[in-house]
Amino acid sequence: MFNITFYLRRLHSLVGLFMGAFLMVHIGNNSAVLLGPDMMNMVIGTMDKMPMFIRLPIELGLIAAPFGFHALYGVYIALQARNNPIRYGYLQNWQFTLQRWTAWYLLVFLIWHVYYLAIHTRITGIHLCFEFLQSYLSNPVYWVLYVLGMWAAIFHFTNGINTFCMTWGIAKGPRIQMVINMACMGLCGALCLETLALMLVYILPIF
Amino acid sequence: MALQKTVTFIIERQDSPTGKPYTQEFELPWRPALNVVAALMEIQKNPVTKDGKRVAPVVWECNCLEKVCGACMMVINGKAQQACCALVDKLKQPIHLAPARTFPVIRDLLIDRTVMFENLKRIQGWINVDGTWEVRIPPRQNPNTAATAYEISHCMTCGCCLEACPNVGPQSDFIGPSPIAQAYMYNINPLGEYDKANRLNALMAKGGITSCGNSGNCVKACPKGIKLTTYLAQINRDVNIQALKNIFDH
Ligand code: HEM
Ligand code: SF4
Ligand code: SF4
Ligand code: FES
Repeated sequence: MFNITFYLRRLHSLVGLFMGAFLMVHIGNNSAVLLGPDMMNMVIGTMDKMPMFIRLPIELGLIAAPFGFHALYGVYIALQARNNPIRYGYLQNWQFTLQRWTAWYLLVFLIWHVYYLAIHTRITGIHLCFEFLQSYLSNPVYWVLYVLGMWAAIFHFTNGINTFCMTWGIAKGPRIQMVINMACMGLCGALCLETLALMLVYILPIF
Repeated sequence: MALQKTVTFIIERQDSPTGKPYTQEFELPWRPALNVVAALMEIQKNPVTKDGKRVAPVVWECNCLEKVCGACMMVINGKAQQACCALVDKLKQPIHLAPARTFPVIRDLLIDRTVMFENLKRIQGWINVDGTWEVRIPPRQNPNTAATAYEISHCMTCGCCLEACPNVGPQSDFIGPSPIAQAYMYNINPLGEYDKANRLNALMAKGGITSCGNSGNCVKACPKGIKLTTYLAQINRDVNIQALKNIFDH
């Protein structure tokens, strides 16, 4: 009676959306840099004020655990597909393929990103601030990999909202599916431009 | 003598289920309204490759020759379609023919689609009318759902949708879109409705509807124009409700 596959798959979908909510907060915080380095440092400072016994459980329970589940089960799902966008070059099939390609990139990128900026800096006592990030991102390879990482996450999430509406049977007919798809891709484009702008602050002498 | 117009086919062949695939090129005279099955018949009559080698005739399957039996599905220029209604004039030359490798290949273009029948059994693709009870006048069809059921009933288990689906194949246990649409058809039938919960539970199991990743290929590939993605979304709704029932009814 209880089909474990069904609940796991629906949980994977919900967790994806939840991680997307975190992604939006994360992008929101990062956008402080658009108002200047001081604003960015203030935002990082406020987060640093949070005591570790509160911050660590949140990071482990609300970020690491959902991520671990979504990533592991996501790998299992991605391995079930033989992407065929060359033979069937329809828009939605390209999105399906990109959903999987971005997933693979994110898997590697997020481990690197979290390890270096959240774990390594804490162990070695590096103080995170605008100036540190600026010197870190002055390496053009890192900068490009970070922009790609953000774009991958944004596409994966916004396209995820789109497929979420199909997976849960919210959007049934072709017209509403197309409307939601276009809205999600619009959001994707807007967020990509936004993150590009904030990443440019680190390498251009704007402030 | 005027130069005769010809058609070139590049056919992916395989001598046995485990044989290594290879390709052969055939050239035959063009004629008006030539389709792929008719061309394959010509090759069967005279199985000589373009470079003059006499070879074993190409094996493929067909029956109705009018897009109702489903038997002649193969991959033509990269896309799964019915060979009997694939007009040569509408295809880019040379025309590539390949077996639908989502299914086990028996020989050349001949595939084994037994799995589609097994999947129909799995989702209980039938209506229980026989039993120890008295057979009465059947209940009336709802004219609104009957139109939908009629559309889905056109399915000829050709397998185009399975071949196009990135999630169906040897790498996965996904039953594919067509049995899911069939389950919906039986679910909206006034008699079939009684077994709706059984069908939905079967679809919630491993390899059922949850294996769909919303690529949308199936609806584009279906030669019968069945609105597969719409019914997939509908079944997704129905299984959500069924899941709640499973939790709160027991
Ligand atoms: C920034 C991190 C991530 C976010 C915000 C995110 C979000 C989402 C969302 C919202 C969905 C849609 C679920 C649905 O269609 O119902 C999804 C699907 C998916 N995610 Fe992620 N995800 C992330 C990282 C990953 C990673 C690291 C992997 C695997 C390596 C992954 C693999 C997948 C796969 C394969 C799907 C498709 C599932 C399906 O089509 O059913 N995701 N993700
Ligand atoms: S929408 Fe689902 S069933 Fe249809 S082709 Fe895509 S993955 Fe397969
Ligand atoms: S749903 Fe369409 S493509 Fe799929 S088997 Fe039936 S007729 Fe063929
Ligand atoms: S021969 Fe029946 S569908 Fe082509």
